[in-house]
Amino acid sequence: MSDTVTTGAPEPGQASSTLSRRRVLQLGLAAIPAVCGAGLLSGALATSDDVVRGAELEPAGGTYDPSAHDWAFVMDTTICIGCGRCVEACKLENHVPEDPELNRTWVELHVLAKDWTVTVSSPAGGADGTPAQATVPAVADAAVRNAYFVPRTCMQCENPPCTWVCPVSATYQTADGIVLVDEKRCIGCGYCVVACPYGARYMVPAGDTTPKGVAGVVDKCTFCYQRITRGLLPACAEVCPVNARIFGDRNDATSAVSVAIDQKRVRVMKPALGTRPRVFYTGLEGEVD
Amino acid sequence: MSVRLANRELPTDPRVIARAMRLRVAATPRPLRIWYSVLLVLCLVGAVGAVLCLPPGWEVLGTRPSFEWGILISAYVFFAITTSGLCLASSLGTVFGIEMFIPLEKRHAILALLCLVTAFGVIALDLQFPVRMVFGAVLSPSLLSPMWWMGVFYGAYLVFLIVEVLSMFTGRWQLHRVACVLSSITAIVAPTTLGAVFGVLSSRPYWHGAFTPPAMVAAAMLSGTALLGIVFSCVHRFRLAGFERVATLAIPAIRLLLTIILAVTVLVLGWQTAWGLYGDVPGLSDATAAILVGPLALPFWVFRVFMGLVAPLALLALPRTRTPAGLFAASCLAFAGLFADRAIFVSAGQVAPATAVAGVLPSPFAAYVPSLVEISVVVGALAFLALVYTLAELHLPMGEHQGHLAGAFLGSGRLATDAGTAPGTSAGGEEPTGSGRSAPLFDGSGGVL
Repeated sequence: MSDTVTTGAPEPGQASSTLSRRRVLQLGLAAIPAVCGAGLLSGALATSDDVVRGAELEPAGGTYDPSAHDWAFVMDTTICIGCGRCVEACKLENHVPEDPELNRTWVELHVLAKDWTVTVSSPAGGADGTPAQATVPAVADAAVRNAYFVPRTCMQCENPPCTWVCPVSATYQTADGIVLVDEKRCIGCGYCVVACPYGARYMVPAGDTTPKGVAGVVDKCTFCYQRITRGLLPACAEVCPVNARIFGDRNDATSAVSVAIDQKRVRVMKPALGTRPRVFYTGLEGEVD
Repeated sequence: MSVRLANRELPTDPRVIARAMRLRVAATPRPLRIWYSVLLVLCLVGAVGAVLCLPPGWEVLGTRPSFEWGILISAYVFFAITTSGLCLASSLGTVFGIEMFIPLEKRHAILALLCLVTAFGVIALDLQFPVRMVFGAVLSPSLLSPMWWMGVFYGAYLVFLIVEVLSMFTGRWQLHRVACVLSSITAIVAPTTLGAVFGVLSSRPYWHGAFTPPAMVAAAMLSGTALLGIVFSCVHRFRLAGFERVATLAIPAIRLLLTIILAVTVLVLGWQTAWGLYGDVPGLSDATAAILVGPLALPFWVFRVFMGLVAPLALLALPRTRTPAGLFAASCLAFAGLFADRAIFVSAGQVAPATAVAGVLPSPFAAYVPSLVEISVVVGALAFLALVYTLAELHLPMGEHQGHLAGAFLGSGRLATDAGTAPGTSAGGEEPTGSGRSAPLFDGSGGVL
């Protein structure tokens, strides 16, 4: 049996490119360290990613222990005035693109009619408040049972669909329950955007304002991880004039969020999906998703 | 310096190549020259679109957070299932040994390989960081992700197809048989995993469910069979290599297969639509309404139902159109209808989101219009497929080899003797008689360029 793989017999005296089996094996063997080297290089990159992760996990002082926390929000729709300061603060704090269609957090106006149908509107994500003329025309003359503002954000699900659909583990959950995106691993496939039942994700376009200085990756609310790991409130909760966004640690039984969860009638959005959100709501009525 | 490929001496000197190409072009028949020119122009258009897709974050696509997957994903799904369908259709002969489906398998395999490469190219352009995907899938895999498994199975499928094609052209029939079996198995698993990419998403009721993966296989069978119908009709029309076997075996087999799979698709689509009409499941009933009477109604009724199902079935059923030309028309319509079907499928899962997305409330339906860049990439991908396949058809030895025919029956010595009497073949393991180019359109020297 011939030891040479050719696609045709060479003419005598003519130069011809042939590929010997030995050469194929040599190339194959050479490819192994090349792949391993690329792997190590990528591993090094991953390590540098982890430095980014570590920087978030170990802020100034280095005393933050993620496993000791269980962060949560209670959004009190009975007192939210829909001013939109939270949206504005989030954009400033996290360098969210100016595009009004791209938000980490937004505020919706829910109008519950007498027949229990819910109409939702959110002009410019609620960043400029919700002027009366922005109310959906269909409900302008309807008999209204109730109306309230609903602050929205990533639910930081305990069972997040976005993390397990990601093919390269670029989106992950920290020990304190926050779902983050590693912008150096994200391939920009958009699978997590499609998989999120709460519409909390978007793809960062190229431009002057990008959350982590990288375009083409997915971005989402992190509960302002760079702040909460330093003992600060998320920007949206910090600026809320009526304290409608109650943030805290569920592991601390005396925290405002634990008290709110214990003492108020709270519910989560889309409980049937089994995502177990860490964002709770008070005052929701009707079918609200 | 020169290289030899398929018993041809190929120069490597650019000046020699340029001169040879000029001569070839001058000697090319005019219709073929026009065909090549059109395809090259379309490929160029696609290449421009592809370049514009490359920089991460450039908003050259028509997608938004509320409609994240556009026509590039539809095109990827289309090409990915087509490649699987081609292999599934050919496996009826190569793996299961059903005599009438013993195909002119070189065409199946080459088309499958080209469709898969095209699919990979399209999805790479949709990704913002395609290179990261390669490393990320290896170094930080997510075993729970259907998309990761889809990549694994289609990657394996690519390897098996390459081995299948190479072993076919180098006459390594034992290896070829193994590759056929492995690629056929992967051809079933891969599209079901692709279906699972959509099916596992509970946030998208139209896609969600165990029904989606098998429906994807049905779509794969239809698109693969329709493409074979187009190609075999052309082989018959232009009397290309092996056209006798095409007339006696391939065209009847494809007509039968296309009829069956069209009927199956009608049932699948009918139940899928009925499913969406029952109850008032948020997202599902809205998506069904969008398909039947909403923004997707026009493509659904015109392209999907009439053009993609009713017309092909009528062409296959009516006695007057039971001809190769009728099969060609039916296949073209079914193939185009299937593209519309995949675009509708991808759109329907997103057209009626049950929530606001990044602060935007699509009302009543999420809007998406493919950009010129997206359209150019899809058109370029189709042109690339047609161009490379035309070159392969005219410059590779497409006649079936006796050893290949014998290899079609796994573990059976029967075909080795039967195949010798098959129409258009000759005993002795050489190129079948009559399978050369006795074509009036193209010359008989193995090519036209």
